[in-house]
Amino acid sequence: MPNRAMNQPHHPHPRQYQLRVAGSLSAQWSEWFEGLAITPAENGETLITGWVADQAALHGLLKKVRDVGLPLLSVNPLEPGAPGGADASGDSIQKE
Amino acid sequence: MATPILATKLYIPPPRPQVVARPRLLECLNEGLRSGHKLTLVSAPAGSGKTTLISAWVYQKDAPPETPLRNAGQARGAGGELLRGDLDESGATLQPSSFSLHPSRVAWLSLDEGDSDPTRFLTYLVAALQTVAAGIGESSLATLQAPQPPSTETILTALLNEIAALPEPLVLVLDDYHVIEAQAVDQALTFLLEHLPPQLHVLIATREDPQLPLARLRARGQLTEVREADLRFALAEAAEFLNRVMGLNLSAADIAALEARTEGWVAGLQLAALSMRREPDPARFIQTFTGSDHFVLDYLLEEVLQRQPQAIQAFLLRTSILRRLSAPLCDAILGHTEKTAQETLESLERANLFLVPLDPERRWYRYHHLFGDLLRQRLGNPAELAEDHLRASAWYEANNDLAEAFHHALAAGASERAASLAEAAWQAMERSFQTAAWIGWIKRLPQAVVCGRPRLCVQLAWAHSDAGELETSEAYLQHAERALAGAGDGPGSESLPGNIPLIRASNAQNQGDLAETLRYTELAMQLIPQDDFGLRASAAITLGFTHWATGDLELSLQAMHAWRDNMRRLGNPLFDVASAFAVADMQVILGRLREAENALRQAISAATALGHEAEAVIAHHHLGLALLAHERGEAATQTHHLQTAADLGQHTTLVDWRYRWNLAQARLKESAGEWEAALELLNEASRVHVKNAIPLAYPVAAHQARVHLKQGRLDKAQAWARECGLSTEAEARYLDEYELLTLARVRLAEGALAGVSKMLERLLALAETQKRSGSLIEIRLTQALVEQAQQNRPGAVAALAHALALAEPEGYLRTFVDEGEAIRSLLLEFSATIEKRANINQQRLISYVNQLLAAFPHPATLPHSTVAQRTAALVEPMSGRELEVLQLIAQGLTNREISERLCVTISTVKGHNQRLFGKLQAQNRTEAVTRARELGLL
Repeated sequence: MPNRAMNQPHHPHPRQYQLRVAGSLSAQWSEWFEGLAITPAENGETLITGWVADQAALHGLLKKVRDVGLPLLSVNPLEPGAPGGADASGDSIQKE
Repeated sequence: MATPILATKLYIPPPRPQVVARPRLLECLNEGLRSGHKLTLVSAPAGSGKTTLISAWVYQKDAPPETPLRNAGQARGAGGELLRGDLDESGATLQPSSFSLHPSRVAWLSLDEGDSDPTRFLTYLVAALQTVAAGIGESSLATLQAPQPPSTETILTALLNEIAALPEPLVLVLDDYHVIEAQAVDQALTFLLEHLPPQLHVLIATREDPQLPLARLRARGQLTEVREADLRFALAEAAEFLNRVMGLNLSAADIAALEARTEGWVAGLQLAALSMRREPDPARFIQTFTGSDHFVLDYLLEEVLQRQPQAIQAFLLRTSILRRLSAPLCDAILGHTEKTAQETLESLERANLFLVPLDPERRWYRYHHLFGDLLRQRLGNPAELAEDHLRASAWYEANNDLAEAFHHALAAGASERAASLAEAAWQAMERSFQTAAWIGWIKRLPQAVVCGRPRLCVQLAWAHSDAGELETSEAYLQHAERALAGAGDGPGSESLPGNIPLIRASNAQNQGDLAETLRYTELAMQLIPQDDFGLRASAAITLGFTHWATGDLELSLQAMHAWRDNMRRLGNPLFDVASAFAVADMQVILGRLREAENALRQAISAATALGHEAEAVIAHHHLGLALLAHERGEAATQTHHLQTAADLGQHTTLVDWRYRWNLAQARLKESAGEWEAALELLNEASRVHVKNAIPLAYPVAAHQARVHLKQGRLDKAQAWARECGLSTEAEARYLDEYELLTLARVRLAEGALAGVSKMLERLLALAETQKRSGSLIEIRLTQALVEQAQQNRPGAVAALAHALALAEPEGYLRTFVDEGEAIRSLLLEFSATIEKRANINQQRLISYVNQLLAAFPHPATLPHSTVAQRTAALVEPMSGRELEVLQLIAQGLTNREISERLCVTISTVKGHNQRLFGKLQAQNRTEAVTRARELGLL
C-alpha cells in the first residue's frame, strides 16, 4: 500500500478518523480512499479508518464517499491508541 | 484562450429513446414553473437519475399549458391579488402566459471543477444564456475580461437588466452544481436569485444542497424541490424500467427483491439489468445479489464488467481516466484495436453503458460521473496508468487543449512536463483573463519544480501582479533571479531579464509609487531586446501612463508613440487605432484641441480601412469628437458624432465605454443646465467605472460637487470638500488638480478665500512647467473668479486675458460660456479695455471675444442658469449679502441666528429681509423661499 501524504501523522494537525458506511466494501477500495484502511463491521457495514491531514482533507474524503453514492452512517475522530484505530502506516488492519 | 467556451458544456443531454415515464415528477417541475417559483432544486445522490429527469422534462411532448412565469408574484408586488385574466387584460409588459417549455428556451450549463473560478462561472453563465438569447450579456463578457473587473454584483445587475428586457421567458439549468466549491459563486447565484426577473427560472441539479438561502426561498414559496426520496423508483416504476425499458422479463417477486435490495436507486437497477441481459438464470442472479451485503454498485459493476468481452473491459477501464472521450483520443490511448474507438463508443452508448453524448454529432462523450468514478476506483497498475495519462496529455497538447494536457501530465506524475505545458499555456493566454485558474494549476505543481524554472517564475510574478498580490509577485521575481543565475541562459530566455524590472515597475505603479515605477521601467527598457516588440510595448505603455499620472503629458505622448510603433511592428494595427482616444485625451489636457481632433479623425479613417472588427473600437473616438464639437459650439457635428458613438458603443469591446458615455452625457446635460440629470449620469458613471491603467484625473465626486455648486447646494459641495481629504495648503500635484480647482470653487461660494490664490499660483507653476495649456486655461479662469470675488477687477481681467490667449487659437467656447454671468461681465470689461487700445494684432482676439459673448444665453430667457444669471432675472438684482441671508432663511434659521452667523445686528438682518422680500415680491419668509426656488436662486 503506497503511503500518501495524507495518512502520514506529521501534518500540522493530522488526526485519525473513522467513517462508517452501509454495504460491505472490498479492501481494493483503500486506493480510492487515499490509502485509508477498509475493514468490515457488523450488519454488512464498513469502516474506513486512517490519518486525515486536516479539515479540508476530511471534506475531500466525504466527497469521495458522496461521489460513489455510498450511504454515510457516521464520522468519528479517534483518540490516539483507541481500539479500531489504524497504526501510523495505515496498513496493519488491511492485511488481516 | 480569449474566451475558451467548450460548447459541450452547454449541450442539453438528449432524452433517452426509452425512459420510464415519471408523470408525477414532471408535473412537480411543471407546477414549479406555473406557480412562478424562482428556483427548482433537484438534490439527490449520484446515480439517482437527476439529469435524465431534467432532460425528459425539457423535451416533454405535453408542455405545461399556459405557464405564467411568476406574474402572480409581480401582481402582488403591484399591490393586490389580481386574477390572471386581469393581468392579461391589463396588458402587463411581460406576456408570460404564452410560455410553454421548449428546448429552445432552455439554457443549459454542465458545471465542472473549473467553474469554481467566479470569472469562468460568469463567462459560462453568459455563454449558456446566449444559446437562447443571442447577444445577451456581451458587455458583461467584455467587463469580465478587464484587468480589474467591477464587482460581480455590478456585472450581474447589468445582466439581470438585460434578462428583464427579454420578450420571452427562459429556464437556466445548472447541472452538477455540487462541483462548485467557491463562496464567491454561491454568492453570485444568491444575488441572481434575489433579483431574478420574472423572465428567468433557475433549475439546479446537485448531489448536495447548495449554499443558497434555501430556507428563505422555501418560506416565501419560491422553491420547488425534487429530492432523493422522490427520485427513487417505486415498485411499479422499477417494473416498467426492468421489463419494458431494459427488455427483461422478470416476475413480480424478482422485481420486488431487486427494488428492495437497491432501494429503488436507479443506478443500481440499471447495473442489475445490464448484468442480467444475457443471464440464462436471472432468478439465481437475483438470489445471489440480494443475499450479498456488498455495496450495491461495487457488486453490480463487477458483474457487468465480467460479462463484457475482454476488449470492452479494457476499453472502459483505460478510458475512464478521461474527463471527455472522443474516438481519436481513445485511439491515441489504446493504440490499434480490433474495433475502431468510434464503433466501440457507439456500441457502448447503444448498450446503455453509461455513456453520455456531449454533442449532436456524437464526437464527444463522457461517462456518467458515477460510473466513471466506479471504473476509476478499479484501476490498477500505477505505471500503466501513468503511461495512459501521458498519451492523453500528448494528444491534448497536439490538439491545443493545454488545460487537459496539463491535467493528464500531472496525473502521470510528470511534473516537469506539466510545468512546461503551464508555461506554454501562459503564452497562449490573454493576460488577466483566467489568471486565477492558471495560478490554480501551478499550485498543484511541486514548489521545487516551479522555483527551478525562471520562465514560470516570471509568469507567476506577472499573474500575481495582475491579481494585486504584490508580495507574492516579488517573491517569484526573486526566485526567477536565483533560477536565472543558476541555470544560465536557456533557449528563448533572453527576454526574461527585461521582464523582471518591468514587473517591479508594474507593482510600484500599483502602489502609487510613481518614482519607482519610472526607475524600473527605464531599467526594463535598457534590458529588453530591441526586437522584442511586445515587451517593449508593455514597458512603453507603463511609462506612458506613469508620465500621464505625474502630468508630464509631453513625455507621456512620446511613450505612447513608442507603444503604438511597437504594436504596429507586432502586427496589431487595431491597438494603434484604439489607442488614439488616449492620445486625444492627452492632447486635450495639453490644450491642443486641433491635434486631438486630428488624432481621432486619422484613427477613424484607419479603422474604416481595417474593416468591421476595427469599428468595435472607435465608439470612444466618435464620443471624443462629439465632446470637442461641443466645446467649440458646433452643434451639428456634435449630434452626428454622438449618434455614431451611441450606435457603435453597443458593440464596443473597450471596457470603460459605459463610464465614458455617461460622463459625456453628464457634460452635455450640465451645459444645458439640467443639473439633476447630470448628477444622475455621474452616479451611473461612477457605478460602472472599471478600474484601468488610465489615470483618474477627474474624479466623479469632484465633478458632482461642481454641479452642486451650480445648483446653489453649497452644503453638498461642502460635504464633498470635507471628505476629499485635500486642503488649500496642499502641494500642487497633477492628479489633484481637478479636485483642488473644485475646492477653490467651494471656498469661493463660501466666501472663505484664505490661501486660495496661493494654491492657484502653485497649480499654475506646475502646469506651466509641464506645458499643459488645457490645465492653464482652467486654472486662469478659476483665478479670474477668485480675484473678482476679492474686488480685484484688474487682476481678474488679467487672468482672463491669459486664458483667452491660450484658448483663442484652439476655438474654446463652452469652457467660458458655462461659467455664466461672472465670466461674461469680465469678458465685457476685457473687450472694452482692448478695444480702447486696439491694434491690428488684437483683431483676432477681439473677434474671438465677441464670438464668445454672442454665445452666452440672454439671462432673462433662460430657465436654468447660474446664480448670477438668475439674480439678473429679477426686476432688481440681489446683492451677495441678500443672497446669503436668503440661503440662511431657507435653512430655517431665525433672524437672531442669522445675525449671529453673519456678525451683524438683528435690525441689519431685518433690513436685508425687507429688501429681498421686495425684490422677490414676497410677503413673508415662506413666500420668499418658494419664489427664490422657482427662480432657481436656491
